[in-house]
Amino acid sequence: MDAILQNFFNLAVYRDVFGFLLRGLWTTVWLSLLVIPIGAASGLVIAVAATQTRRRWVRFLLAAYVDFFRAFPPLVLLIFIYYGVPFLGIDLPKLMAVAIGFMLNNSSYYAEVFRAGIESVPGGQAEAARSTGLTRMQALRHVVIPQATRNVLPDLVGNSIEVVKLTTIASVVAIPELLRVARDAQSLVYNPSPIVLAALMYLALLWPLVRWLSRLEHRHVQAR
Amino acid sequence: MSAPILEIVDLHKAYGDTPVLRGIDLRVRPGELVCVIGPSGSGKSTMLRCCNRLEEPSAGQIVVEGVDITRADVDLNRVRQRIGMVFQQFNLYPHLDALGNVMLALRRVQGHSNDEARRRARSALARVGLADKAASLPAELSGGQQQRVGIARAIALEPGVMLFDEPTSALDPELVGSVLTVMRDLREAGMSMLVVTHEMAFARAAADRVVFMDAGVVVEEGPAAQVFERPAHERTRAFLSRHHAPC
Amino acid sequence: MEWFDRLVFTFFNAGVAARYLPDIVKGMGVTVALGLCVVAAGLVLGLLLAVLRTLHRPWLTLPIVAFADILRALPPLVVIIVLFFAFPYIELSMSSFTATWIALSLVLAAYAEESIWAGLLALPRGQSEAARSTGMSWWRTLRFVLLPQALRIAVPALTNRVISITKNTALGSVVALNEVLNNAQSASSNAGNPTPLTLGAVAYLIIFLPVVLGARWLETRWRWKR
Repeated sequence: MDAILQNFFNLAVYRDVFGFLLRGLWTTVWLSLLVIPIGAASGLVIAVAATQTRRRWVRFLLAAYVDFFRAFPPLVLLIFIYYGVPFLGIDLPKLMAVAIGFMLNNSSYYAEVFRAGIESVPGGQAEAARSTGLTRMQALRHVVIPQATRNVLPDLVGNSIEVVKLTTIASVVAIPELLRVARDAQSLVYNPSPIVLAALMYLALLWPLVRWLSRLEHRHVQAR
Repeated sequence: MSAPILEIVDLHKAYGDTPVLRGIDLRVRPGELVCVIGPSGSGKSTMLRCCNRLEEPSAGQIVVEGVDITRADVDLNRVRQRIGMVFQQFNLYPHLDALGNVMLALRRVQGHSNDEARRRARSALARVGLADKAASLPAELSGGQQQRVGIARAIALEPGVMLFDEPTSALDPELVGSVLTVMRDLREAGMSMLVVTHEMAFARAAADRVVFMDAGVVVEEGPAAQVFERPAHERTRAFLSRHHAPC
Repeated sequence: MEWFDRLVFTFFNAGVAARYLPDIVKGMGVTVALGLCVVAAGLVLGLLLAVLRTLHRPWLTLPIVAFADILRALPPLVVIIVLFFAFPYIELSMSSFTATWIALSLVLAAYAEESIWAGLLALPRGQSEAARSTGMSWWRTLRFVLLPQALRIAVPALTNRVISITKNTALGSVVALNEVLNNAQSASSNAGNPTPLTLGAVAYLIIFLPVVLGARWLETRWRWKR
């Protein structure tokens, strides 16, 4: 018991490293705020393209893209881009590598969610919109996509929570997000309390979101 | 006068502060078909569901084949094999076909072998006229057929008494007849039955005794002809005329 | 075509590939073994927790809900790091395989419990009433009537979860587990050439594309049976 307090919940160490970890937390937050909209937007574009096109080869290509990046572990993708691309002579800033890696991975998950959402809106909705003179794009923008988004809101939120958790892999390429900072702090103080504190900070950040997501899901099922 | 197969003694049931049953006494004798009629909210279904303790009585006793099933030390699972129940919403298991639905309790509760369970299940399905639908899933059957499978599922265990909770209320009118026919056949074969129903014509024609319930009490009971033609109480009369009950 | 030759030399170098292929294949063995262990432990634990939750005892339900919440809120890499780097300080050291296996199994168990519980909640009450009215015990009702239906409802969510969690086996590389990514990274730095990383990427596709397609097939098959 004593060992646990000393090594996991050492208040003196907490006090020392709290400032550093807070900065790491901030990095985690803005990295998430950067990556989520990019992933969601590209996912939406892919989903719209896949559901609206009449050409089979386009649908096939997009489906292959989505399946490919869903099968590919994000950490591997990140490493590949980060370490591999400099060999081509291209000087890629760390953040760019991370952003591209995340975008490729996330867009495929968001695309799946949005596709399910668009397909869940009855065809009659678009027909009604078109019959009042709206163009295809307008019908999509004002009628189909808002409903699609509402239908899959829990999945969108759930996916976004996953992305925040995913930022931890950026620690492997030395982006100073929360986990990286905590690990560095641990090697400085020879005590693992910083990583336990980081875990607690992730909990503080994400547990409320997970609870909110559960409530969203229950309300969603009842509303059906 | 033989001992009753099902006896409800001074049954009370309250949800929190709201009383639903205020002292029900009722007897079903072997081979009798007793119909319970009354307005919505009178507590008919609650009373029925107390008979196999799907609802727990607040006070009073339920005695089935001489056994007081409200006692704490009773083996409820064993007792429930003696009481068959048919539900308004059928409650068939959607992942099993008709034969599977009927066989499940035969195998897993009464412990029959696969072959023996299948034989009994087929015979029960034949009794309700659905021998040819043994391999059909519930989703492939009409409402009336599903309810008859529900009846087969209950009678396959050879219970001493059967409870019917508004068995035809969820059915389209054209399908009601097939279920009522099966229920009449069961009665002819000597099954003791307690039926909560809105089907006045059926109660009038098939029941031995009719019980009229209102606001948690038994207002009136007696032979079917008597209750329908010469109701003794004003409330009974009002209810029957509201439902255009045949006289 | 000079840039093309450079691309091939860099990422698809046959000589380098041949030399380090055995390492990658060995890594694949570890990845697959770890994945199977995680799926087995995670699903069994998740099912057990969901079943315990049906007992409706507060002293069971509250810890289970807390467990599910915490393990869905924590990033898996953080759990692995804590198990591997922090636990030795309280006399609980473990190998990188064990740390990764425990961490990912617990995370999968949390998601599996939630999905199965949601499936059970979605069932009409009449199902358990019908089974109980034929004298079936609580356990038999669960096993033959409720769980078969709840699991069918939970299959889409479960298969997605299994896929994403088994891909997280790559996180084991962070604690020096000798799975594909780790071996590919070492090989690449030894060779001074990222071709082993390409091999690693291909190895992951070989392992996981069938899993993704298999999951789609499983979803359609179980849905139809309803």
